[in-house]
Amino acid sequence: MNEFVERQMKLTWRPPKKSYDVAIVGAGGHGLATAYYLATRHGITNVAVFERGYIGGGNSGRNTTIIRANYGIPAAVRFYQRSVDLYRGLEQETDRWLMHQQKGILWMAHSEAAVRAERMRAKLNTEFGAETEFVEPRQVRELCPQLDIEGGGRWPVLGASYHPQGATARHDRVVWALAEGAMQRGAHVHQNTPVEGLILDGERVAGVRTAAGDVAAGAVVSAVGGHVSRIAAMAGLRLPIRTHRLQAFVTNHYRQQFGPIVASSELFFYASQTARGEMLLGAEIDPQPSFSYRSSHDFVQDVCRRALHLLPFMANLRVLRQWTGVCDMSPDYSPIMGRTGVPGFYITTGWGTWGFKAIPAGGEQMAELIASGETPELIAPFGLDRFARDRTMADRGSAGTH
Amino acid sequence: MATLLVDGRRVEAQAGDSLLVALVRAGLHPTGGGCLCAGGDCPNCLVTVDGVAYTRSCQVQAVAGMEVTREHLGDEEPALLAKEPTSAGNAAPVRHVHCDTVVIGQGDSGREAAREAGEAGLHVVTLDAREGQHVTGVYPGPLVVASDKAGRVLHVHPRREIVVATGAAEIQPVVPGSDLEGLVTARGAAELVAAGIDLGRAVAVGERPAGLPERTLTGHFPVGEGGWELVRFEGGGRIEAVVVRRHGDTGAAEERIECDTAILGLGRNPRNALARMAFDLPVRVVGSAAAEPELPPCPREGTVCPCSGVTVADLDGVWGRGFHEMELLKRATLAGTGTCQGGVCLPYLRSFLLERGGRLQPAFTARPLNRQLTVRELAAGAHTAVTARSPLHDEHLSLGARMDRAGGWWRPWTYGRRDDEYRSVRERVSLGDVSSLGKMLISGPDAEAFLERIVPTRVATIRSGRCRYVLMLDERAYLLDDGILCREVTAGPGSGDLLDDGMLCREADQGAGDRFFLTSTSGGSGFFELWLRDWAEAFGCDVRILNQTASLAAINVTGPQAARLLARAGARELPAFGRHRAVRIAGVDCRVVRLSFTGELSYELHHPAADAPRLWRRLLATGAGFKVQPHGLETLLRLRLEKGHIVIGQDTDYDSTPRRLAHEWAVNLDKGDFVGRQAILRTNKQPLDKRLVTLRADEPPAREAGDPSAEGAAIHDGDRYAGYVTSDAGTTADGGVPMLGWLYLDAEGKLPREVTVDGRPARRVDGPTYDPDGERARTAVDTASETPENIRKLPVARSEATDLAAEAPAEPPLLRRLEATRVSATSKALDALVERPPWIAGALAFRIAPDELLVTASPDFEVASDPHAIVERETAFSYVWLEEGAAERFLDRECEWRRPDTRPALAQGEVAGIPAKLWFEAGRTLILTPAPFAAAFQRRLARSLAEIDGDGA
Repeated sequence: MNEFVERQMKLTWRPPKKSYDVAIVGAGGHGLATAYYLATRHGITNVAVFERGYIGGGNSGRNTTIIRANYGIPAAVRFYQRSVDLYRGLEQETDRWLMHQQKGILWMAHSEAAVRAERMRAKLNTEFGAETEFVEPRQVRELCPQLDIEGGGRWPVLGASYHPQGATARHDRVVWALAEGAMQRGAHVHQNTPVEGLILDGERVAGVRTAAGDVAAGAVVSAVGGHVSRIAAMAGLRLPIRTHRLQAFVTNHYRQQFGPIVASSELFFYASQTARGEMLLGAEIDPQPSFSYRSSHDFVQDVCRRALHLLPFMANLRVLRQWTGVCDMSPDYSPIMGRTGVPGFYITTGWGTWGFKAIPAGGEQMAELIASGETPELIAPFGLDRFARDRTMADRGSAGTH
Repeated sequence: MATLLVDGRRVEAQAGDSLLVALVRAGLHPTGGGCLCAGGDCPNCLVTVDGVAYTRSCQVQAVAGMEVTREHLGDEEPALLAKEPTSAGNAAPVRHVHCDTVVIGQGDSGREAAREAGEAGLHVVTLDAREGQHVTGVYPGPLVVASDKAGRVLHVHPRREIVVATGAAEIQPVVPGSDLEGLVTARGAAELVAAGIDLGRAVAVGERPAGLPERTLTGHFPVGEGGWELVRFEGGGRIEAVVVRRHGDTGAAEERIECDTAILGLGRNPRNALARMAFDLPVRVVGSAAAEPELPPCPREGTVCPCSGVTVADLDGVWGRGFHEMELLKRATLAGTGTCQGGVCLPYLRSFLLERGGRLQPAFTARPLNRQLTVRELAAGAHTAVTARSPLHDEHLSLGARMDRAGGWWRPWTYGRRDDEYRSVRERVSLGDVSSLGKMLISGPDAEAFLERIVPTRVATIRSGRCRYVLMLDERAYLLDDGILCREVTAGPGSGDLLDDGMLCREADQGAGDRFFLTSTSGGSGFFELWLRDWAEAFGCDVRILNQTASLAAINVTGPQAARLLARAGARELPAFGRHRAVRIAGVDCRVVRLSFTGELSYELHHPAADAPRLWRRLLATGAGFKVQPHGLETLLRLRLEKGHIVIGQDTDYDSTPRRLAHEWAVNLDKGDFVGRQAILRTNKQPLDKRLVTLRADEPPAREAGDPSAEGAAIHDGDRYAGYVTSDAGTTADGGVPMLGWLYLDAEGKLPREVTVDGRPARRVDGPTYDPDGERARTAVDTASETPENIRKLPVARSEATDLAAEAPAEPPLLRRLEATRVSATSKALDALVERPPWIAGALAFRIAPDELLVTASPDFEVASDPHAIVERETAFSYVWLEEGAAERFLDRECEWRRPDTRPALAQGEVAGIPAKLWFEAGRTLILTPAPFAAAFQRRLARSLAEIDGDGA
């Protein structure tokens, strides 16, 4: 008996119509969340989500499922805290088991510069609603007894920031619950239906050209990951986005014994144990831009080596599987959400390595923007026009991390 | 006979037994039930061996003393925590193998492929699971990673081709009872019988097992058209009977055949995961691995995926709720995500989806790891990048310093005397090690024009012998780095005089040209060289660039008594503020730069790395009368904060324009174009939103706050959030607390004056809180003349250049400091130079870049055909000669890339994770490595050679 077999959700597929109020490109977490919140919060259900493959098949199904709000700038902390809060209520709201587990994140420091960065992070996060405290090595040991506080003699832990609301959830189930919730209320999701072009009515985007024919829409939202630059180009937009690979791997499954999520920005890796018992490890993005989904050996090799400094118990665990997603990186390491300057065309992108944790808040806010016509205050700082206005949301502290 | 310990019980294995055979011989099923394939394709024989769980018992030999735990019995999962401490942090040894062709699998077709390639004269490497070589993945490179006997890991680098000859897996039964004990595949049965194991009453279903004596079978039921269909197995724990019925007739009567063993020959599926993984690499699949997959009948009932415990009912349930794609079926059930990676379930998932949806869907993506290695094994060959060390590292340690990693370097954080370190700078004199600063020499006809386009300061007005603080911006006008730009004193043609004004500099332009020395922050030096070279190429500037970061050490002598200390140490003429000059101090030739980061009188002494310990000790000894005390990074950060100096990365982010940083004074928009200028013009049209400001609070935070620093604390302007603090180093002597922080302008576009930090009142101040007019740094000293000398031509006292050619490999090999010369010149000029070497005979010259030469001679020559060439003493390298055999064995193990075959030859790359230059001669090999890495390299060399001896290789 496998308790992880999905036994609750029901996906209802319907044939495409010729016209919708809202057409969303990309049935990943953000696209489906937008449809979900349009339906549940605003009663807008004449909505279609177009997906070139299967739902959640892109980065929504390839991330390391971490939910946290301990970012580096006030606007980001507030936004991600909203997402943390929505995630906490999402199981109850959808009445679905999403394997949401609050387990806390420890962010280790091995140098004085890192200690001050973590102290600073703790202070700034707490000020803007994402409870975080700086903890001493003794407390780190209590929170994670498996961790070698001496770092193998080479990377001693001098302290850590601890963000107790850090959590994980099963990525696929989040995607399916949002899809189910939207579908139940009448929204359409069309798999294996790539969007091949946009229908332009003068300046205005008035629909999408799909493999299954043209579809008119009052509003078109790009919630694409990976190839967002191509979709934007169809609307005549050039985005400040570069796409990089991000890799991860899991071990076989073991008894549940590893409590928190642990991260080290100096050793460049983070680790957690999944609900199923696998140790899940990730690191920073690959430095060179790429659309490739291919995994590399040097990634798993280097992360294993680095992780062994802090987690020596992993030496004898077998690595089961590695995989790769692609990250759309913006120049300031913050997402881009909202209007585009092209009437009828909205965008949610730049999700870098933080897309999964932002799914509910991103969807909620995009839905509110589309429904009300007003950019909500929470995402106003993240508009595309910020680059031209010299109002970038620089978040160096979040660069390349999960 | 070998005795193993299985679940604490002694089990005898016979010679040649796999662990699986030994267990079955002892009447034990490894996991309590499930069809055994003996081919590594199923999860039914997984055990924990010597603390490593998820080990396929069919793929390892039974070895005396092995401790085996059958943890998969019941639902118990292996423990995450090792029962005993593991060899923490130790990666398994790696062996790199370079070849033309690698053949994976040594069955008939694999042997044939290897033979053919060998006959064609190719260098072939074969990998065979029966030899303990389990391939975990095929990666771009191409790189094939495999385990090896004795816990070693093979990295095979084929130049031409990867041949996948991995054969086929046998299709497992999916019917009720398939988790009973007593089921084997046809090949599994053959292996057990060959090992002399009695299968009892055996019934074969499907293909007749090969190599099995007729008498061992009590029944045989071919499956498929005209034959039979497997219905279920019956029994309690162990099989008691096989139930079949006529194929294609669900109404047909069932036949029940009692037996002790069921032998399943249900068809084959190619083991093609490695080939699918390598889809765009030069891969060739041969033999049965290349066959089309067979599709078993759609399963009716039973466990489809034994790894994840997924039943046909689970598949039906998920299908019925709209999960119709192969990937969704996999994700919704977790079928195919266990150890066998779909080996058992994939054929059944495909036949299930075909029957339900009428569409044959492709297999899910093949990903590494095909065979699961441990974290320790996967780490083989990886090295944590060595943190760079200053030439003064050991000096700091002997003074009791606590070292800290900062900007990629080990730096002294404190010498344990925090207050005295501070007071010695402010009241007496102190030494600080700033060797980690990036240091570039730039010369050439376009040197000045080039730098005008790199830095926003006007370079033309930096006269020879002068220096200036400069910013370096990126294209978006964000601060990338900062440093000091010095124009060297240059002699015009025919002029031996010291030059010190702009006119003479222009004269110099027509002759030898200008030379500049440019520093950058510690963390940025590696990137910064690339930045300069990229732009030089983009602009088409005719410049020479020499990165001297590792070549030169730097000591900052700072404090009111700094000049007196240096004078006592033999410095005759010291530069005035804003100037630099060559000065011999304590017998060491230094470039002395006078600006100030601490706020006190400061002289930065840049000098050859090899001379650093001598100079440091001499300054400490000479300074004893001044009670000199070195200061660490912690104190430096406090000193600079009192002066309002920013630290890149701490006070800046990816939106830090000079305007936001209040550094407009370092930007000249009236000169020509420079990197970032367009962005400044564009952003200057936008209203300013925030600024980095100096704040001063009159009281420290309350003690109970715990964290004494306000870094990260919010700044409020009344009730309005107005920014946050980026730097706070605590209370100063006058009781105030200086801070740097981002402050947002208010609704009227003004910066507030009075704010609160953490509820404490603080005031924005316009200048530094310490010595606002900078009088202390600029103070005139009477020991110094302001007349700069020609530092380029100064004779330098140095030891003889290393005579490398005369040395022979020593035993044991020891790394030693290299005395040499580095030359940066045009490629053509270097060609000519090497053609007719001006240096002593026997010196070795290494062309380490098209525009760079390393010569084991003294820097007392000129480059005839390039007047702009840079010729500098180089002491940054250590070297060791190895006898050829030892070098080969060491490099086989520690060098990932292919080495040249010709002799002599120069090669450069990482060895043991450390940058190295290799010079191959007949009979001996020279290794050069940066001197700060010498100790680490020495350790790896010694360890590696010892382990190689231990291997008996």
